[in-house]
Amino acid sequence: MLTFLALASVVLLGIVPEQSQAIVIYTGWERHALLGSDIRLSCSFFSWRWTSEDVTFSWTYRPDGSRDSISIFHYTGGVAYVDNKGPFRDRLEFVGNPGRRDGSILLKNLEFTDNGTFTCDAKNPPDIVGRPSSVRLLVFEKVPIQAGVITGAIIGVVLGLLVLIVVIYYLMRFLVARRVFSLSVSKHGKKKKEGSQQRQGPVPPADPSKIKV
Amino acid sequence: MLILLGAIFALHIIGIVLLLVATIDNAWWVTDDIYTDVWGRWIMTNNVWNLTDLPSTYPSNYLQAVQASSVLACIFSILGIFVFLAQLFTLPKGHRFTISGIFQLLACLCIMIAASIYTDRFHLDERNGWYGHCYILAWIAFALTFFSCITYFVLRKKTA
Repeated sequence: MLTFLALASVVLLGIVPEQSQAIVIYTGWERHALLGSDIRLSCSFFSWRWTSEDVTFSWTYRPDGSRDSISIFHYTGGVAYVDNKGPFRDRLEFVGNPGRRDGSILLKNLEFTDNGTFTCDAKNPPDIVGRPSSVRLLVFEKVPIQAGVITGAIIGVVLGLLVLIVVIYYLMRFLVARRVFSLSVSKHGKKKKEGSQQRQGPVPPADPSKIKV
Repeated sequence: MLILLGAIFALHIIGIVLLLVATIDNAWWVTDDIYTDVWGRWIMTNNVWNLTDLPSTYPSNYLQAVQASSVLACIFSILGIFVFLAQLFTLPKGHRFTISGIFQLLACLCIMIAASIYTDRFHLDERNGWYGHCYILAWIAFALTFFSCITYFVLRKKTA
């Protein structure tokens, strides 16, 4: 009975998602980089099927303000084809691992003309229905500080220090009080023992003159 | 006794109100058609006020430092009033309100830092403009919080 259920669930999981799920491609949303540096644009996908041998990755590039896209990278049949005529000639490198569903590329020596949108499209036959995902690249001369980061950091640190000081203060008071309490208990205990010993001392020698007849 | 307590409380509350107005309202630097502070800028064009971003020529790190310290001054002062109320009921007789004083001192320092940085780093070359009411209120709040802090450090609790 149990084996039947297990087999049925495996079969169902194999059949049902075929129609309802599609391949989902993940890239970043926006990437900031310094002029002249290198940047790795990551692309990975999620698919219900096992990674097939015919998995393909392709990257296209659309410059800012232009409506045309140009294809700059294609991986198929186990071979990576890199741009050798276009704007990224000699500056593009494939650093992904198709076996692990990673189709990332490395752009070297960035220029201002590289500002634009990079689109990654991955296909995992027979799972080919999916939406390509885009990442926007922004090249800066100097990486700007985002608005409010420093403000938030200063406020957070100061308030955090305040909370820390209050906590430490109460902790110290609690610990000191506990030590004082335990010391006083031991002293009290010692005094009690001494007191009972002293009481036993003077009692036995009763004064015969004081015994009333 | 009650009058003194009321006066101290009122001083603290006025300090808080001035700090809040200085931080939130928009008049640190004023010209004939521009009202600006550390958060944004209102520009009058064709008899309509438009809210715009601060110019990118502002030194961004100093701007964020002024923003942070003015907000911190408000926070410390507001925390200080609650601490003062708590200490009013829990402090043993004869003790001073040191913790409330410390909070007010921190608020005083923070608003002084904010106003000083603003004076020193912004609007250095602009001739046609003057400091607006929020800037003046920030300095007045500095004075009030300073007096409040001194009061807390000197005052002793009279009744249990």
